Amino acid sequence: MAHRLLKDPEADGWERSDFPIICESCLGDNPYVRMTRADFDKECKICTRPFTVFRWRPGRDARFKKTEVCQTCSKLKNVCQVCLLDLEYGLPVQVRDTALSINSNDAIPKSDVNREYFAEEHDRRARAGIDYESSYGKAQANDTILKLQRTTPYYKRNRAHVCSFFARGECTRGAECPYRHEMPITGELSQQNIKDRYYGVNDPVAMKLLNKAGDMPSLEPPEDESIKTLYVGGLDARISEQDLRDQFYAHGEIESIKMVPQRAIAFVTYTTREGAEKAAAELSNRLVIKGLRLKLMWGRPQAPKPELESSDEARQQAAMAHSGMLPRAVVSQQHNHLNPPGMQDQHPPMHYFNIPPPPQQERTFYPSMDPQRMGALVGSQDATPNGPAGSGENKSGLEKQLGQHYPYQSMPPPHLQYQQQYQQQHQQQHYPPYGYMPPVPPYQQYPPPYHTPVPPPQVVQSTQQYQHLVPPPMAAPAESKTSVPPPQGSRAPAGSMPSEPSSQGSEAPAGSKPSSPPSPRPGEPEESKPSGPLP
Amino acid sequence: MPKVRTNRVKYPEGWELIEPTLRELDGKMREAELDPHDGKRKCEALWPIFKITHQKSRYVYDLYYRRSEISKELYEFCLDQGYGDRNLIAKWKKPGYERLCCLRCIQPRDHNFGTTCVCRVPKHLREEKVVECVHCGCGGCASGD
Repeated sequence: MAHRLLKDPEADGWERSDFPIICESCLGDNPYVRMTRADFDKECKICTRPFTVFRWRPGRDARFKKTEVCQTCSKLKNVCQVCLLDLEYGLPVQVRDTALSINSNDAIPKSDVNREYFAEEHDRRARAGIDYESSYGKAQANDTILKLQRTTPYYKRNRAHVCSFFARGECTRGAECPYRHEMPITGELSQQNIKDRYYGVNDPVAMKLLNKAGDMPSLEPPEDESIKTLYVGGLDARISEQDLRDQFYAHGEIESIKMVPQRAIAFVTYTTREGAEKAAAELSNRLVIKGLRLKLMWGRPQAPKPELESSDEARQQAAMAHSGMLPRAVVSQQHNHLNPPGMQDQHPPMHYFNIPPPPQQERTFYPSMDPQRMGALVGSQDATPNGPAGSGENKSGLEKQLGQHYPYQSMPPPHLQYQQQYQQQHQQQHYPPYGYMPPVPPYQQYPPPYHTPVPPPQVVQSTQQYQHLVPPPMAAPAESKTSVPPPQGSRAPAGSMPSEPSSQGSEAPAGSKPSSPPSPRPGEPEESKPSGPLP
Repeated sequence: MPKVRTNRVKYPEGWELIEPTLRELDGKMREAELDPHDGKRKCEALWPIFKITHQKSRYVYDLYYRRSEISKELYEFCLDQGYGDRNLIAKWKKPGYERLCCLRCIQPRDHNFGTTCVCRVPKHLREEKVVECVHCGCGGCASGD
């Protein structure tokens, strides 16, 4: 026997490995991780055989981690050598086994000798190339796992341990203490031990997870049958509209997708209620795009605000509160209603509760952004194509900016009525300008005389951003531009949003972007707009 | 037969000026040696020794190289008598090592990845702002700090 031992360095059956079997969380976020390896350094905490211990620091705020169980034990359960969570799903063994209905426990003997023998046998077979009967990786991930699994590494797990001295109130190291100075979390969940976790029995965390999976509610469809919009939260820059479309189109025909990158949310509108309901049922709790778990809820229409209907000031405030954050589709829709008297009730814009107060992050306006400043002759038709149709990212900002000034570049429409007709005719092709457009419905406060003294056409060419300092008559005719290119061509101009029609009227001018009071635009009195035209 | 004096130390000039300080440091060292290390971590036990050694060497080094207050003869005498660590002082003369805490901290073979101690890393490059190096308890001895 001895000579065979000497001949074959592998004869002891001890583990010699070059790399640990670990999960992404345990490896840490640093791509340049340095590890130390120590052969036969410790005994495996499951099978108690010596194994190769790796030790590394998984990131800057992390403690050092080392492998705890040998690779044989790790492969038997398909778990990370460090955290004993499933390599594929990052779930505890008990959760995974319950969800997939695997029972891998009877295979592994518990008594010392048998366990060691079993591990050696297993090694031998693995070395011989006989694949052991492993169902891991072959079983289809089912519902429970999809709901529970982590989609991104959880580096918080790598933090330093809690300082036991601090917990007793006698840590003298102060700031130098590398341990966390927090009180330890007690409770049932802290009562774990490594063997139970490995074998997947009596694991309180697994119990909690399984309960959670059972409790996860499905989305209740709202009673309002007109709601066909789903809210998607938790987006980030990596997720494009196409990604959302790829996920959602399978459940029904999509009417539109509105993304609000500032809020990291999106609204997916289906053409049919059934499609929306199906998508909500299928995708709730398990909508994962590019490794990002997204929140899916039903969209909610905003309740109408009757008091806003009454006063224009309130309307202005509402507009200011909303502008800047509305999705551009909404903005464009709101602009669509270029004070046509009867139109406001027909094309309600979308109002969601989720829309936040303005971000106060409006882009600074530079004179160079104004084409007219540079001498461009901006007619009614080709004014905006140059401006806002620029590069995509700047687009919205430019639109906002330009929109702010258009109202003051008062057009020379001699007859208001005529122009309104013109606008209504061209409503489908041309989008109205982005500016504050005081509605000119029957109850209009601005008497026509204010429009007549509107300066002649040459003013249009000479208008600059300081134009708004001219007296009120200039500011009044908001319906200056008849044609602004559609901000996003294919969007349905109106009616795509499920929402109450009544609320629309209050916010129709919301898109007028009076949003950025703090923005250092040269000498623009924000208040002058609403107040100017008042008699 | 006259007694042969083996302890014939010839003190160079100026010794009496620096002797009290060196004696005091020696006393501190003795105290540190006798200090019990109950309740200390394993690595902490030698920190005071390293610290006082550093102080003594620094005193001699400063007197000769910085303040030029002692003669070369007296300086050599101090080093010969073991009042300063010749090798540590040799490091201090090199750029980048002006504040080196101890020789172990720059010994790559003592470190896992063939590097130096964390106390040698300048503060602004360090992830942890407050450190105590495991060798000598140094809180940072990079020359730029």
